[in-house]
Amino acid sequence: MAEIKAPMGGKVIKISVNVGDSIGEDDEVAVLEAMKMEMPILCEEDGTVAEIKVEPGQTVEAEQVLVVLS
Amino acid sequence: MENVPITTQEKIEDLKRRNAAAMLGGGEKRIEAQHAKGKMTARERIEALLDSGTFEEFDRFVVHRCTDFGMENNKIPGDGVVTGFGRVNGRPVFVFSQDFTVFGGSLSGPFGEKVCKVMDLAVKAGAPVIGLNDSGGARIQEGVVSLGSYGEIFRRNVLSSGVVPQISAIMGPCAGGAVYSPAITDFIFMVDQTSYMHITGPAVIKSVTGEEVTSESVGGAKVHNTKSGVAQFMAKNDAECLEMVRRLLSYLPSNYEEKPPEKHTGDPASRTAPELDEFIPDNPKQPYNMKKLIKTVVDTDSFFEVSKGWAKNMITAYARLAGMAVGIVANNPMQLAGCLDIDASRKAARFVRFCDAFNIPVVTFVDVPGFLPGVHQEYGGIITHGSKLIYAYCEATVPLITVITRKAYGGAYDVMGSKHHGADVNYAYPSAEIAVMGPEGAVNIVFRKELQKAENKDEAYQKLVGEYRAKFASPYRAAELGYVDEIIMPSQTRTKLIRALDVLKTKRTFRPQRRHGNVPM
Repeated sequence: MAEIKAPMGGKVIKISVNVGDSIGEDDEVAVLEAMKMEMPILCEEDGTVAEIKVEPGQTVEAEQVLVVLS
Repeated sequence: MENVPITTQEKIEDLKRRNAAAMLGGGEKRIEAQHAKGKMTARERIEALLDSGTFEEFDRFVVHRCTDFGMENNKIPGDGVVTGFGRVNGRPVFVFSQDFTVFGGSLSGPFGEKVCKVMDLAVKAGAPVIGLNDSGGARIQEGVVSLGSYGEIFRRNVLSSGVVPQISAIMGPCAGGAVYSPAITDFIFMVDQTSYMHITGPAVIKSVTGEEVTSESVGGAKVHNTKSGVAQFMAKNDAECLEMVRRLLSYLPSNYEEKPPEKHTGDPASRTAPELDEFIPDNPKQPYNMKKLIKTVVDTDSFFEVSKGWAKNMITAYARLAGMAVGIVANNPMQLAGCLDIDASRKAARFVRFCDAFNIPVVTFVDVPGFLPGVHQEYGGIITHGSKLIYAYCEATVPLITVITRKAYGGAYDVMGSKHHGADVNYAYPSAEIAVMGPEGAVNIVFRKELQKAENKDEAYQKLVGEYRAKFASPYRAAELGYVDEIIMPSQTRTKLIRALDVLKTKRTFRPQRRHGNVPM
């Protein structure tokens, strides 16, 4: 179970994957807005999306888990 | 005392025998064990590092003088380290390579003396020192003699700093006090899975804090290349590591009095990059690939990244422009919005100071929204660490050229190689936004009262943001003041940089006398 976390605090503006999706390295899983920048959150290893912990519009803290991979 | 050589021929044969014995280090069994771990021996590493056939060895017959714990009957010629000099790409270097097959590469008094000998000679000759580390640490039987030897090496590391480049490759264990010699050197390479560096290892950590860790998890190549920033380069294996050391050396001069060697790749200085005129996204919130931009500008295949895995919001790299070696510093809008934070400031500051010490011009690409906000940053001392970067740019006397590609906001504008900090040539793209803060934040502060009074708050806000953006979120205010020298077409970046570098080759700067400055370290 790998977790994809927010690199910094900000607002989730997009979730780019669905539960069950197979994703690989550098695939975009979400977009976070912080410091007036839209940051793509990229996957670091291959896996299947098991759980999505946040929704668009939600404010998250640094290190908060966004997506869980199995 | 049998077989005492009498004739000259016998004496020559005797030398050959002694040489052959020394070449075996700790013996064939231990060499096999070294290979079984996927590691080269100390001598194989030197062969791979240096140009073929250029190695000249010192002190092959040095042995320890320890008489405790039965050590007097256990002597191996060379005493655990192979030292000498040779050439890399035709240029001289000094090298020491710790031999794990001999007493686990542990450091004795004579071992330290051998290392110090090449370090001293390197400074006299003005050539880099490369240390290949694979050692169990202090030789316990030697007691305080071993500690004394470490100290002698540390002091030489410090006194050689800024005189000749010092490079360390960690290719096996490097633990306890032994870590501090590499730490003082300019660059650390680590081999993935077979090397580690830590002050206290798994056993000590467990006994003190109860934490269960491995050498890999507390001090492996990945840890130091991503979390701690202690190491700047990671290699898959010994051969790749030594090839990377050779590549790094190609960008560096041999000493502080020399200029870095020029190496022409055939990429024309006049090459334009029309794709860069469409590279910066229209939406100022959308990130883009700064590394790709830089690679498009510099000589083909000359981009060589330093600290690639740590503080990714800051890019540091060596590259060439029309053959001239340059240090590149750039914000990375794909990571942490390109913000400056503690790690990014430390990374870039150390990089700029190295470049300045060794006559390597610094080219800075700026796209920075500001400093990363947060309690963690403040408690961690971002004030001190951020000021390191200011210090590094302000004290630099090498040519400094800056290109603002997009955002240059607030204090971060000053920090990133601004005119005010001594940059020689400052360019900005038409997409640059140089201001105290972004339009959204500025409008909320400057027009707070107007916004409170407005009937349609959202409409008023959008109108004011638009006005602010038109007035300040551009490079033209800075251009009117001469803070940027020219607004350039992105497609022309390469030619502009090459011309500026060329004219700055003869740059001279004068500084007031002092003992030394006080870097906020």
